[in-house]
Amino acid sequence: MTMRNSVRPLPAPEPAPLRIAVAGNPNSGKSTLINSLAGTRLHVGNWPGVTVEKREASFERRGERIALVDLPGTYSLSPYSQEEVVARDYLVEERPDVIIDVVDATNLERNLYLTVQLLELEIPVVIALNIHDEAERMGYRIDVTAMEQALGVRIVPTVATKGAGLEALLDAATAAAGDPSRHRPRRLHYGGDIEAAAEALMAEVLRGHPDLAGRYPGRWLAFKLLEGDRRVIDEAGLQGIEPLVARAAEHLISAHGEDVESLMADARYARATGLTREVLTKPDVRKIELTEKIDRIALNRFLGIPLFLAAMWLVFKLTFDVSAPFADWLSTVTAGPFTRWTRVLVGLVRGPDWLISLVTDGVIAGVGSVLVFVPVIFAMMFFITFLEGSGYMARAAFVMDRAMHSMGLHGKSFIPMILGFGCNVPAIYATRTLENPRDKALTALLIPLMSCGARLPVYILFVAAFFPSRSGTVLWSLYVLGIVLAVLMGILFKRTLFRGESPMFIMELPPYRMPSGKSLAIHTWEKGKHFLIKAGTYILAVSVLVWFLLNLPWGVEQKKDSYMGTVGQAIAPVFKPLGFGTWEAASSLVAGVIAKEIVVGTMGEIYVPGKVEAPAGPTPSLSEDLREIGTSFAGAGKNAFTNVFSTAGIKSLQAEEDEGTTGLRSVVSKTFTPLSAYAFMAFVLLYMPCIVAAAAFKHEFGTWKWFGVAFIYQTILAWSVALLIYQGGTILGIGG
Amino acid sequence: MNLAMLKPGQSGRISHIGALGPLKRRLMDMGVLVGEEVKVEKVAPLGDPIEITVKSYNLSLRKREAEGILLEVPK
Repeated sequence: MTMRNSVRPLPAPEPAPLRIAVAGNPNSGKSTLINSLAGTRLHVGNWPGVTVEKREASFERRGERIALVDLPGTYSLSPYSQEEVVARDYLVEERPDVIIDVVDATNLERNLYLTVQLLELEIPVVIALNIHDEAERMGYRIDVTAMEQALGVRIVPTVATKGAGLEALLDAATAAAGDPSRHRPRRLHYGGDIEAAAEALMAEVLRGHPDLAGRYPGRWLAFKLLEGDRRVIDEAGLQGIEPLVARAAEHLISAHGEDVESLMADARYARATGLTREVLTKPDVRKIELTEKIDRIALNRFLGIPLFLAAMWLVFKLTFDVSAPFADWLSTVTAGPFTRWTRVLVGLVRGPDWLISLVTDGVIAGVGSVLVFVPVIFAMMFFITFLEGSGYMARAAFVMDRAMHSMGLHGKSFIPMILGFGCNVPAIYATRTLENPRDKALTALLIPLMSCGARLPVYILFVAAFFPSRSGTVLWSLYVLGIVLAVLMGILFKRTLFRGESPMFIMELPPYRMPSGKSLAIHTWEKGKHFLIKAGTYILAVSVLVWFLLNLPWGVEQKKDSYMGTVGQAIAPVFKPLGFGTWEAASSLVAGVIAKEIVVGTMGEIYVPGKVEAPAGPTPSLSEDLREIGTSFAGAGKNAFTNVFSTAGIKSLQAEEDEGTTGLRSVVSKTFTPLSAYAFMAFVLLYMPCIVAAAAFKHEFGTWKWFGVAFIYQTILAWSVALLIYQGGTILGIGG
Repeated sequence: MNLAMLKPGQSGRISHIGALGPLKRRLMDMGVLVGEEVKVEKVAPLGDPIEITVKSYNLSLRKREAEGILLEVPK
């Protein structure tokens, strides 16, 4: 076969790496298999232009360089979903040297349907017959030799979770790629008239476009044309061929009474079914699987929802309670010893005071605000991966879909929304469990309306100042306000920005499985690392910018005269109708874009100036500092552990009042009224997501577009709602 | 008779798929084909979606999508 060479002339100075693409159904254990093969060498990014994750690795094995690409998990290679288009485009355009097709041995028939399509691409294929152990436990007997003969490809039984069979798999893949001419898969014969139509069509196409012979596998191209695949027509530059295709298709439709797409799907499944019958022997008496037993309870009409809510509560609690002590530890270390050391270091090189302030209050504080998110991102990613890998995520979607669908959302949207109450940032990352781009974007847009933990300090300050006797009710009302507005905005978006058919809900309920520790570790680590690097950059930039705003022009004494103060004064009139049109409030809101709890900190600086945190006692030495960091880390670990078991409530939601805010509280109670305080809290709840959330939006969607939409609608919403509260309340004469 | 009308535990053979375009293709890709035996396993606690077995695996879909799948039910 000369095609491979004509597609890719290789004038490379060193031998090009062996390019292996790994394809397979979702839930076939493909991801675990890749993790086991590549481990920490995996590089995770996005496929260009889409939000589909791309994982690749390159490594050396027995002197040979291997470039491994993980294709998105797909059931088919039809042109309808992002994942399928990505997988297909890669296979057709990049033509890897070999495809490893991961087949779930417990679900042979449906998995082979994809295999049949992969074989049509005329790229060498090696099958990893995965989850082989479970199939054996179920009493399945698969005749591998017969299967190899029937398909004409090598088949290697594997158990990816245990790493079994992977060396043999790589050997087989290398061998298959080394000698493509030996790849002679048995062709699927689609039936006389389809084959004849394809052949005639191909001859016609090649007459007009002889160059296509080298670019596409001929039969494949003809079949795609017959299926009416528009993408192929556009990509191959075959515009104008439609009438010819239509004529051929019409003939087939009139002969079979079915459209060509259905005919071909039928033929492919017939092949998969026939093959399965030939090679698979199932036990006569079917055992009742564990999955069935669990689902009798987990999806029960009465227990399903309570169990799901209990599971969510547990995930929420674990995510935020396990990470909170480590977040506290990180913020103590950056604000304490780390800041002190930097101060000393900058002092040593005789840096001026402003530089010390820039580095400590701008840069380190910025880095600190990134770092405190890292534990929660790690924890969240761990649990989300666990939920997905175990198979429970699909059940959660099944149980909640009816409720979420009425808001135009998908059953899987519920979990990211719930996480939003802890922190919007991991919640936005959690939208990656939604496959459909529309569901994903809509979910992410509504997440900022879930009142996160960072807004709590603001509420606490104002509730303590104005509503001490009804603090619970007032707090609760703010959370409810966010939820109600999310429902309303969901319905509004469904009718405007996301008009049209809501995406279909056709979802596999995979068997429950224990995700491998290695997979959990790799996914968690990748996400945390990416967050640290990517989001960190933006957050740092904005932190430094805010520092400049607060400290410029040079030598500014009063915060009112700083640029931040000037900005505050300039925009204050906008907030006048809302009841808090002061420059102090305006400046705090501007600073709050870093993180909403900073609203309180900035108010402290502005309203109660001159409050310097004088270090109590002598400055600790370096060794004391180091020891303290170590012991406090151990303490954080202990706290994380005890949090999980000891408390019934959710720790991070329990209000802890800072002693330092008493002075601020008395100032605030003089400059706000109860009504304007409530309007202000509502505004803080609703106005633009913080910059960390913005970075998460950019990172997850690859574009600023959705953050832009969130920014605009939330700003309008916050202003309108606060206006309604303040003006409505004034007219009704409440709390004025 | 369509798939959305079956009660948990009931099964039937698919006689026609009314859906068009991507939905039809997706159903077929998942093994929901004419002539295939399907069984309704469960209905979600809130009444929608439903869980079916097809090609010996479990699939969930909304009733709206199931309505387009016509069945012949053994008498």
